[in-house]
Amino acid sequence: MSEAITVQGLSKTFNGSVHAVDNISFAVNAGEAFGFLGPNGAGKTTTVSMLTGGLAPTSGQAIVDGIDVFHDPQAIKRRIGLVFQESTADSDLTGRENLELAAALFGVPRRTTKQTIDSLLERMQIGDAADRLAKTYSGGMRRRLELAVGIIHSPQVLFLDEPTLGLDPQGRAGFWRYVQELRKDHGMTVFVTTHYLDEADTICDRIAIIDHGHIVASGTPSELKDRLGGDIVTLRPLRFGPDVEAVLKALPGVVAVSTFDGTYRVKTPRGEELIPALVEACTRAGVGLAGVSLKRPSLDEVFLEFTGREYREDEGMTATDRAVRIGQVRQSFGGSRR
Amino acid sequence: MIRELNALTRRELLRIARNPQAIFTSLLLPILYLLLFGQAFNLNSIGGGAIPPSVFLALYRGAPSYFSYFSAGMAGFVSVTATLFIGANVIFDRLFGVLKRTAASPATATSIFGSRLLAGSIQPIGLAFLVLGLAVGIGHLGLAGLDVTASVTAVGAAEIFLAVVILSMMFASLFLAIGFSVEQPQTYFAVVNAINLPVLLTSAALFPWGTMPTWLQNVASYNPITLAVNVIRENLFAGAAAYYPYGPAVYLLGLFAWAMAMFVVAILLARRALAPRR
Repeated sequence: MSEAITVQGLSKTFNGSVHAVDNISFAVNAGEAFGFLGPNGAGKTTTVSMLTGGLAPTSGQAIVDGIDVFHDPQAIKRRIGLVFQESTADSDLTGRENLELAAALFGVPRRTTKQTIDSLLERMQIGDAADRLAKTYSGGMRRRLELAVGIIHSPQVLFLDEPTLGLDPQGRAGFWRYVQELRKDHGMTVFVTTHYLDEADTICDRIAIIDHGHIVASGTPSELKDRLGGDIVTLRPLRFGPDVEAVLKALPGVVAVSTFDGTYRVKTPRGEELIPALVEACTRAGVGLAGVSLKRPSLDEVFLEFTGREYREDEGMTATDRAVRIGQVRQSFGGSRR
Repeated sequence: MIRELNALTRRELLRIARNPQAIFTSLLLPILYLLLFGQAFNLNSIGGGAIPPSVFLALYRGAPSYFSYFSAGMAGFVSVTATLFIGANVIFDRLFGVLKRTAASPATATSIFGSRLLAGSIQPIGLAFLVLGLAVGIGHLGLAGLDVTASVTAVGAAEIFLAVVILSMMFASLFLAIGFSVEQPQTYFAVVNAINLPVLLTSAALFPWGTMPTWLQNVASYNPITLAVNVIRENLFAGAAAYYPYGPAVYLLGLFAWAMAMFVVAILLARRALAPRR
């Protein structure tokens, strides 16, 4: 399979000492949806900015759609689509005028411009609002307009930088549905950075996790979850005992034990079966438990495993919001789960 | 390049047309100047008619009255007030992400800059001629008005038009240069305010030439507003050429040099602002 994006030893250092991106290498296959995950400040947007010609690297090489980005940043702008995390559509223009402007800038042939715009407006379900000023659009409509602007020239590679940030669950589900349709219809390669691990889990063929400018793990969502070695049982002790970790490790079926944030994290292929034995072992070691929980492998756990800290998506998000969003995203993709 | 320049210029013009408050504000200032300042300082009746007209002609470099002299100056000064917003738009477009989107497209920095320059220059050109028309019209309302004492030839009209166009482009370039260089609106308006008043007060737009001290006349001689209003006044007032050391062509040339210098500085700053960040 040919590579749509090839990155070798890419680094970006600000002010001579802040290593925003530090010697990363990866490849994205043509037609693939590649997720680039990491917390705020991990280096996601810096990487996207470099790959799309908006930021010069300190060192390294990047080939996107056959073009060396750093030798010809202007050429790369013609070949790729880019949707920013913030709204960049012109509020004082209508949706149609925004698209007409983008069509002219990206060199969409004049004879097909109107047809292309009409088709995009229809597809993004903003046809009825096409002649309204963009400032009157809802958040979801604006994101769909951004996506339409980003793909007006039918790019082979589409970069999405946190495209669903700030959208409600329905808006997110709708946005990803359009992206998946584009992939299906045009074989577009999609490079997406996101805060939302569950979205990445559902949408991306492969994922790289970046932290402090380094890629700490990469693979398919299934591969990454398999690397966890199974379920995670979290034991919250009333107090830590001196030998508890060793006692837990010695139990049959335990793959690994670590401590994190006042808990013992026990990896095991069969969490449910092992919980009674784990509780008994703690009791025998003289350590009472305040709580026990079982987590199936998820990208949240993958992130914790590889970065040593929990992934915080959105401080303001409630558990209900999250559950609703996960449900809607899954529903929009046929309920499949890796 | 032509297509992207057209599209970007259209976008700028649509934004201007959809902001009637800004158009009204840029009209209001010159109208107030004409109705208040121009009328209040029109001192031709001083001395009860004992002062011969030749004194006023010398004071106002061939203009028959202060109002006539001043209204020609205002036609030049609107190039400053009406091009201000074009630099501010750069700042707001940067803050709202529009500039980021445009810079991420294949549009060249020259097109992005050029479209703003073109759109920003159109309004002051129209305003300058509106000011001249209003100044003439006010004279028919029983107030002091612009008294065009010369027969304006086609060449003269073309010279006036050219002076207004070049002056507008010069100030549009200046404000775009500032807009592409600073990030915060507060900084922009602080810099612009620090430039506007000195530029106006060191020109021959407001002050009667004959009352200006020699040192100020020397400074004002090189001021771009003075160069433009010299062209306007030489063409509007009969015998005015006698009060100017050079003909309109020389002033146009000087104005063109100013505009070119400002254009080069502005386009370099725009390119730097729109280039991939380092």
